[in-house]
Amino acid sequence: MEMIIGGAFQGKSAYARKEHPRITWTDGEAADETALLSARGVLGFEKYIRKELAAGHNVADLAEKLIAKNPEVVLVSEEVGYGVVPADAFVREYREAVGRICTKLAAHSTKVTRVVCGIGTVIKNA
Amino acid sequence: MMVLVTGGSGSGKSAFAETRVLSFGDARRIYIATMFPFDLECRRRIDRHRRMRSGKGFETVERYTNLKDLVLPKDSVVLLECMSNLAANEMFQDGGAHEKTVDEILSGVREVLSQVKHLVIVTNEIFSDGELYEEETRTYQKYLGEINQALAVMADEVVEVVYGIPVYHKGGADA
Repeated sequence: MEMIIGGAFQGKSAYARKEHPRITWTDGEAADETALLSARGVLGFEKYIRKELAAGHNVADLAEKLIAKNPEVVLVSEEVGYGVVPADAFVREYREAVGRICTKLAAHSTKVTRVVCGIGTVIKNA
Repeated sequence: MMVLVTGGSGSGKSAFAETRVLSFGDARRIYIATMFPFDLECRRRIDRHRRMRSGKGFETVERYTNLKDLVLPKDSVVLLECMSNLAANEMFQDGGAHEKTVDEILSGVREVLSQVKHLVIVTNEIFSDGELYEEETRTYQKYLGEINQALAVMADEVVEVVYGIPVYHKGGADA
């Protein structure tokens, strides 16, 4: 498993496409669980989590499912926990869920790259 | 030695900080808890952290304001969590330091550091959502930003935890 993370509008998707030119990317916002678990690469993984939470689905075991069923996937995901804790309970739940899920996935990933200003810095390479 | 641990929400800062405390070896371990349990969500968070810490030999001391009058055992290893709560408490609680929050907290940290063997402080990155908040929240961000910068000068190690991965900004894993 590999992760490419970073803030909004940092060029994460462009970086991911350049790193993995042969992957057909799946859009996290549009994907259902079957598509997610069979994708080679996912763009906007955080949007998948947000959509599932908004639909009232439980995402507590999402990391474990991905690790078990799609262990080679490349996930591109926005870091959403770097602001003031929001007043809105749903947004708080969303950003915390992204953090917890991505922390589990990062522990499992062999490579994690953080993209800032379009430049990728590898922060884990196991 | 002093270690400053920072990161975003849900980034694995606490787990990293607890492991860092354990890495100092056998010692009396004190956890300074700063979150005031004002609603159910806070109490759930506190419970989650208690479960994470259980079995790691921490004594918990609740401290919402006035860190500088806290008396701690000599040679203990202390984990203070979280600076963002302590700053909010000093700013907004009755009996808090209000506009003197930054100085109050820095004196408190110096006082703690003068008593104990090792101090690990967890703080929080709340500065990068590009949102323009109203003045009170802007002031809170400013105070915490100033506190974090001053703590980083005092610290031997400054580490940002990104989804459980340590990214060192000062010192290093074997510094």
